[in-house]
Amino acid sequence: MNRRTLLGGLFAAAAVPAVAACSGGITSLDGQGSGGSGGGSSKGGLTIGTANFTENQVLGYLYAAVLEAAGVRTTVRANLGTREILIPALKGGDLDLLPEYQGALLHYLDAKATATEEGAMQNALALALPAGLQILPYGMAEDSDAFAVTRETAEKYGLKSLADLARHDGKLVIGAAPEVKKRQVGAVGLKDVYGVEFKEFKSLDSSGPLVKGALKKGDVDVANLFTTDTDIAANHWVVLTDPKNLVPGQHIVPLIADRKADSTVRKALARLGNVLTTEHLTELNRLVDKDKKDPEDVANDYARRHGLSKKK
Amino acid sequence: MYELFKDLGAWLVSGDQWGGADGIAQRLAEHLQYSLLATLIAAAIALPVGLLIGHTGRGAFLAINLSSFGRALPTVGLVVLVFLASGLSMWPVYIALVALAVPSIVTNTYAGMTAVDPEVKDAARGQGMRAHQVLFQVELPLALPLIMTGLRLALIQVVATATIAAYVSFGGLGRYVFDGLAQRDLVQVLGGAVLVALVAVVLDLALSGLQRLLFRHRPSTLKSA
Amino acid sequence: MSFDWEWVGSHRDDLATLTVSHLQAALTAVLLGLLISLPLAVLAHRVRPLRGFLLGLSNVLFTIPSIAVFVLLLPVSGLTRTTTVIGLTIYTLVVLLRNTVEGLDSVPQKTKEAAKAMGTRPLRTLLTVELPLALPVIMAGVRIATVMSISLVSVATYIGDGGLGQLFTDGFQRNFPTPVIVGVVLTLLLALVADALLVGVQRLLTPWARTRTRKA
Repeated sequence: MNRRTLLGGLFAAAAVPAVAACSGGITSLDGQGSGGSGGGSSKGGLTIGTANFTENQVLGYLYAAVLEAAGVRTTVRANLGTREILIPALKGGDLDLLPEYQGALLHYLDAKATATEEGAMQNALALALPAGLQILPYGMAEDSDAFAVTRETAEKYGLKSLADLARHDGKLVIGAAPEVKKRQVGAVGLKDVYGVEFKEFKSLDSSGPLVKGALKKGDVDVANLFTTDTDIAANHWVVLTDPKNLVPGQHIVPLIADRKADSTVRKALARLGNVLTTEHLTELNRLVDKDKKDPEDVANDYARRHGLSKKK
Repeated sequence: MYELFKDLGAWLVSGDQWGGADGIAQRLAEHLQYSLLATLIAAAIALPVGLLIGHTGRGAFLAINLSSFGRALPTVGLVVLVFLASGLSMWPVYIALVALAVPSIVTNTYAGMTAVDPEVKDAARGQGMRAHQVLFQVELPLALPLIMTGLRLALIQVVATATIAAYVSFGGLGRYVFDGLAQRDLVQVLGGAVLVALVAVVLDLALSGLQRLLFRHRPSTLKSA
Repeated sequence: MSFDWEWVGSHRDDLATLTVSHLQAALTAVLLGLLISLPLAVLAHRVRPLRGFLLGLSNVLFTIPSIAVFVLLLPVSGLTRTTTVIGLTIYTLVVLLRNTVEGLDSVPQKTKEAAKAMGTRPLRTLLTVELPLALPVIMAGVRIATVMSISLVSVATYIGDGGLGQLFTDGFQRNFPTPVIVGVVLTLLLALVADALLVGVQRLLTPWARTRTRKA
């Protein structure tokens, strides 16, 4: 759905530290952050927060694994809630680092954002972020939002793309996490961009048991899922195409407080970003969701196998 | 804080908030349905058990300790457990709410029965009343005030806890609390909480009014506690 | 629904950590609740108008869903343990305040008058006569508050804390019953053990009650 351009990545990697240097120098939330190119220091260790779905926890523990290998003490606080809860906690100082998603984060910060290309989004993000926070270069791996229907529903209503939904105004029920009701990459954008009016928005969860259960049972017609969810293929669900690019690129990007961003953290996370692919991430999710492995074990094991850490 | 309450006022009186499939009226109706049905089911189970234990004196240990067990049972855990067993259905909600309500009703019913003066029971038997007559015509009426206390306590707990229905995709006023949490919309959370508290207080007042109406002229024959 | 014993075996450390964290939150809340409710209860016991207000307020607090309390505290104390403890403390107050007031009420007027006649000062009467005599009722409240807190801690899992409650959300998201069952069982065990210990404490604190029951 989204092009991954090497050029964009290189551009962003070069552009972000420059922008971050400016913002880091101006203000820092707790006043500890000094100016200079890094802005902060990870010496005192840092706290990683993760959202309430499997993949984000895997990513949080992956961050922890590579940071520990680089000598940074980390604490992972798993399963804290939604972006709407996590970002205020990051600003407030309860958390220092979050695994984020480019497009979703951009739309959270600026609902009117128009950038869709990775490099452009990275720049837009750097500008939209509040003082005290910065993003680091984004990684290769991507997990996008998918709007999926069952094969039967696709055939019954002739659904192939999000644009087709508008032909059935007021008839279809959409299921997604509660926060998606108010998000641009969600009910708001589907109406603005594609003119879709749903019969009902059902508050469920983030590609979790509720939304998948409801799609299977037929309680909802359209479900908001993650593209890295192996259940999509396993159930032969149809992901609706997005001809008008409502859903932006969702490369994984670290969001960090200036006060903790130093070159050690930057390098360690950049290395992970250049190793972890979408396929890897999908497999790690599967190990946790289906094989009931711990996200922490899965992450440590991955980091070790890919030479990102020596820790068991 | 002040801003929050001002916004709450606007939220509560806004017309769009009240109508529609996800309006306050609908959520209120759902919340009442979950709470009342769960309490009724719990009463149907707990009243006979409490009466039987109180009447026979057998199983007193259970009756006394059940409320402690009920308090200890983590509702979130129970809801998730039943959800994993039953899938997407109302079972997790009703089982958890009934499990929450049963102990209070059993314990209070039992307490009401044991508080009946034994001399009164003896007198009733002396007049030739049979066991079931003693139970239904003497013990039950005398135990009713405490039984009602148990029902009221159970209902309040159930109303507050029925919020959990929203966690497993259903409606009720908990929708505002869980959606507000996900969207970090505190006005919505506060609105939901205030409405739940209002429902609990109104239902409690209604039950206590009913209780007063029923027992206006009854002389107290309870042992002095 | 199958139970994965292997998971339990390989997560003993995690379970111990969660259990300790769970208990710590609950007990801190009960202690704080006691510290706040004791002076308030003495006040409510002495000043009649205040009594209705305080008890009424605590009754209304009881009707507010606990998850809403935790969420509404987020702007105050953030995603921290403090939020959990404040939320739990509010609920312990409901029980502790009521029981402490009732305990103080239960002290016979004659006993207090006797103390006064002997020239005992009011504060001394409160500490050496009234509170010890009210202790059984207060302890009953402490037991209820403790058991309730232990059970309620898990609700804080929605704001990223919650001790053993984290096993519930984890099991839910992954369709994995084992952690959920373990969480429920451990919570129940904690509550039962804490309750039993408190019964023991109460016996130690009120030796006179023991002799009285033995005689009866």
